[in-house]
Order: sequence, then structure tokens, then C-alpha cells
Amino acid sequence: MSYFVVNEKCNGCLACVESCPANALSWKDNGKKRILLHNMARCARCANCWRICPQHAIEFQHLLENKWDEVVSLDLLHCKICGEPLYTADLEKTLSEKTGRELDPFCPRHRESNFAARQALFISKKIEVKEVR
Amino acid sequence: MIVGDLKPLDEIAESVLQFRKVLIVACGGCVTVCLSGGTSNADALARELSHPRHYKCRPPIFNTTSIQRQCERDFVKAYLNFPPDTEAILSLACGAGVQTVAECFETLPVIPALNTSFLGSLDEPGIWREKCQGCGSCVLTYTGGICPITRCAKHLLNGPCGGSSQGKCEVSKDIDCAWQLIIDRLKTLGRLDDYEKLFPIKDWSFDRGGGPRSLGVSKTGE
Repeated sequence: MSYFVVNEKCNGCLACVESCPANALSWKDNGKKRILLHNMARCARCANCWRICPQHAIEFQHLLENKWDEVVSLDLLHCKICGEPLYTADLEKTLSEKTGRELDPFCPRHRESNFAARQALFISKKIEVKEVR
Repeated sequence: MIVGDLKPLDEIAESVLQFRKVLIVACGGCVTVCLSGGTSNADALARELSHPRHYKCRPPIFNTTSIQRQCERDFVKAYLNFPPDTEAILSLACGAGVQTVAECFETLPVIPALNTSFLGSLDEPGIWREKCQGCGSCVLTYTGGICPITRCAKHLLNGPCGGSSQGKCEVSKDIDCAWQLIIDRLKTLGRLDDYEKLFPIKDWSFDRGGGPRSLGVSKTGE
């Protein structure tokens, strides 16, 4: 998606190109067409082009209210009990490799209750062993 | 934003004449927006400084580059590349950027091409005016959003001095009296009672008087 939008009022005067302090605007003449170019990485969003355009052709609001781009999509792990989204499978793998143990996907609340249940089980087993003796 | 102004060309030329190859580095931050230190300014400066009329001997060779922000050390170290044999860097950043670049490249002289002027706002196209002095303890809550530290020549905190006349400061007819602006604004806001409140003596230790300031990120309220 382009964040720098120029509407149909543009007459190709290149006032914006001349006024851009970041050299983020340029143009090329391609056969019968003059093409205006914008470089997002260079743009300082100073709005000088918007101010100076005699045709009011630059719609700067897209640079201020732009939409979110999806840049990466990864598998997500959820809490085994309540299903709350926790962290990505790749993060789990990285952490497991670094800590040398597998992570149980539990949310903070259920991690505690799961830990308490495990402890209770461990203690009851100990008691059973003692009783047998 | 930080507003900078290009130094006189003679001063810049004098500072680079001893070098054979100089890299002009634009900054993509505040100084680009205030039209003094962006890529187009760097290109224009390179063209102008390459002219023999500024020197008695051969002019240096100027290359130009740009980095988004010169005031971040790790960012500069990672991304500011320059041609081999560069003998000096001519920075178009504010003073913070110049010093950061100098810290990153200890063996290269880093020369400022701008005078860092003030913290200001764009009041009208092409006109920036000083609005903040970074005093470290903001009083705008009580002054109708108008800073008396910056906009009153005497930094007065409790109303205008005797030099205020017809809304203007005695320093110049072109300067509005900050306290007149504050009173007018408080009237508009229906908060003229705030004008009657006395400011205690300001603690200037948060300003430059306390030495160079630093700020670390901390959790809110801690």
C-alpha cells in the first residue's frame, strides 16, 4: 500500500520535488508519461510538499493515519487450560533451547495452579510412600 | 523540534580547508523538517563548498550521505558508512547529533555545519519560533499553555514586569509580552484565578544549572 497519495488534481508542476528537504520525491519521464516518485524511507514527513502544492493534490492524511501492514505471521501457542494466547511456537523453541527444558504453555494464572496441583500430587505421593513403609 | 541554522559559509569553509576529503552527513530528523540539515541541504552545501572562491588553495572533495538520526549512538555505528580516505565529517545535525557522531568515530574530526538554535515550533510555513527551553520542570499547566521561561526575556514566573506595554515586550516591539499572552489565554479559558496564584521560587537544579542532564527509562510512577 502506498502511504503517499497524490490525487487527480496533480498537474506535474514538480513544486513538491523542488521543496522536499529529504530528497524523498523525484520524477521520471517515461515515454508519453511523467511519473512522480516517492521514497518512503527518505521521507521525513515534514509535510512541506503538502504545504507547497499549489494544486492541493497531496493527501497527507494517509501518512498520518495509515493502516497496519502485516509483516510476519507465526504459529501461536495457547494456554492448555483456558486457551489464552501466550507466545509463538518459534519463541517457545528459542527459549527451550536456551534453558534446556521444554516449556509448558500455561498462562500465569494456570501456571500457578498447575504448579500447586503438581506439588500437591508430589506431597500426596510422598505420604503414600511413608504409609506403605 | 530542534531548530538549527546553517553556519556562515566562510566559517564552514575555514573549518574544512585543511582536509582533502570531507563527508557531509545530513540528518533525517528535526533538522530536515526545519529545512536546514536534510539531504537536499547537504547536496546544496556540497555544491557551494566545492567552489574555489571559498579557498586560497584547492577545495576539498565533498561527498554526501544521510542517516535518519545522528543522535543515537548504536544506530550511527551500525548504519553510518563513509567512503575510504574520508578525513573529516561535516555534520548537519544538531549539537547532540554532532557529538554522538564524534563519539562513534574517535579518529575522525567531526565538524558542525549548523548552529543549534532552539526548541521551537513551526508557526507558519518557513517560520520557526522558540517555545521551550527544556528547563526540566514544566509550568505550562498553570500558564495557559504559554511558557514564561522561554517567551519572557526575564523568565518571570509571577506576572509581567514594568517593561510590558500594550502587549509587547520592552526588548523589541516584535516580541509579544509572554505574560500578556498568558493572561489573555487564561481569560479565554475562564481560569484567571490561576493568575493570582503565586509560583514558589523555581528549582533550577532541573535546568542546566544542575549540570548535564540524563534520563533513563523507568516504569511510570517509580
